[in-house]
Amino acid sequence: MRKNARRTLSRQKEIIVESLKLPKDSMLGASIVTVTGNREAFIENYKGILEYTKESIVLQGKNCKIAFQGKKLSIDYYTNEDMKIGGMIENVRYF
Amino acid sequence: MLHWVQYIKGYVTIKVWGYSTERFLNLCGNHDILVWDIENHGDYYTMKISVKGFFSLKTLLKKTGTRASVLQRSGLPFFVPKIKRRKIFVIGLIICLFFWMLTARFIWDIKIEGNYSLTEDVLMDYLKSQGVHTAMKKKELKIEELEMGLREEYDMITWASLRVDGTTLVIQIRENEMPQYDSPGQSTQSSDSEKNGKDIVATKDGMIVYMITRKGVPQAAIGDVVEKGQILVSGAVPIYNEDATVRRYQYYEADADIRIAYEKSLSVEKLTAYQEKVYSGREKKILLFGIKEKEWSLSAGRVSYETYDVSGDKNQIQLLDHLFLPVFYGIKYAREYTMTEKIHTEEEMQKIMEGEWKKILQTLEEKGVQITEKNVTINKNSDKWILNIRMQLVEEAVKTVQTATEQIPDTMSEEEATVE
Repeated sequence: MRKNARRTLSRQKEIIVESLKLPKDSMLGASIVTVTGNREAFIENYKGILEYTKESIVLQGKNCKIAFQGKKLSIDYYTNEDMKIGGMIENVRYF
Repeated sequence: MLHWVQYIKGYVTIKVWGYSTERFLNLCGNHDILVWDIENHGDYYTMKISVKGFFSLKTLLKKTGTRASVLQRSGLPFFVPKIKRRKIFVIGLIICLFFWMLTARFIWDIKIEGNYSLTEDVLMDYLKSQGVHTAMKKKELKIEELEMGLREEYDMITWASLRVDGTTLVIQIRENEMPQYDSPGQSTQSSDSEKNGKDIVATKDGMIVYMITRKGVPQAAIGDVVEKGQILVSGAVPIYNEDATVRRYQYYEADADIRIAYEKSLSVEKLTAYQEKVYSGREKKILLFGIKEKEWSLSAGRVSYETYDVSGDKNQIQLLDHLFLPVFYGIKYAREYTMTEKIHTEEEMQKIMEGEWKKILQTLEEKGVQITEKNVTINKNSDKWILNIRMQLVEEAVKTVQTATEQIPDTMSEEEATVE
């Protein structure tokens, strides 16, 4: 019941944001992932790192998790707002 | 840019290991501690962190059960104490900077652009006369005065611009490309000479063989024997009255082609005996070093030869195109020789005499003298040969001189007065 209520609330929020044409990332807390080629990824709006190895980096977004898989992955920098991932990215997965 | 800020503020490379390093990274983010270049090495992570951030890590490490150690310190805050220990280096650096700033206040090179007919040397001499030279202070340059001076000194320069480019004085000039026509001043000069008149006089004793007068009154004719200094064409042209008396003289610059034939004898003596330098082949190399007028040889020992020639190169040290230091270096060679008495063979003497004769011919030809007759004899003695030459020459042996103003007899003017 409570879960349902939350879902409808978020749905309503989405509709409002969309109809008012407000930026979705700041209003809904959606993560922005910018991938340049397969060498660089730039991520904004995330909560934290869940896993960091050379083969995979898993980030916690507001609504979902984002996993980068590849080879020789590294974090070039890391702040509260954004981060940059270098290395060879093979796939990006949301779950 | 960010890199420079990080460098100035200083940063450390740390190694983090322990229970939950991911959480440690998250906490860094949450506490606004910037970390970058995070690398996973399996058991541990390495990352870079600002000095300020590093000191606030303590609680985070405790919370996450991780440990950290410093691997490397980088940036200005760590570099300065290190450099403090190297005082001589710092002093050298400061002296170097000081010297650099000092030398930047002088002119070290002068470049001239746009000159075609005015040579660089001429302009350099002018600049030197105005006190502009290399190694002068920039402050002493009076650019506008120099620009004006250049235009005034040389009519050919229509535009001049000076600028200081670093330590180089760049002079750009534009020359007048239009050909220069006779100025009005020159024409008045020629009329002036016409007023005074000019005579043509002989410069050699001889006989006139050719004469064409264009302007003036001929005073001699072809076939006349004339003396040196004699007037051949007078620049004073008389204007006659009706009764064939001279009314007045009009003065012109006399103009005529005149050739005078004259005789000339010459004799050239050459001794058959001569001295020849015979080089022994012994040679000594002397390295030279000089400052201004003084000179030192860098090679040990003196030249022990009795008679020797010295030849060699001397170079001045040059830093830029026009910047010479008063320091010289070079190599001298002292070559030993002995003088030996020798006697020319008949053939050699013949050649020498021929050479002398050719030389005479050449000088005559250069002067534009024609030879109409010649008689060359050689007197051979045991110790000397004498070349006797008698020539008949034809030459334009004349020059122009100022006409002496002719006096008109007073009676004439009196007569004129009575007529009036």
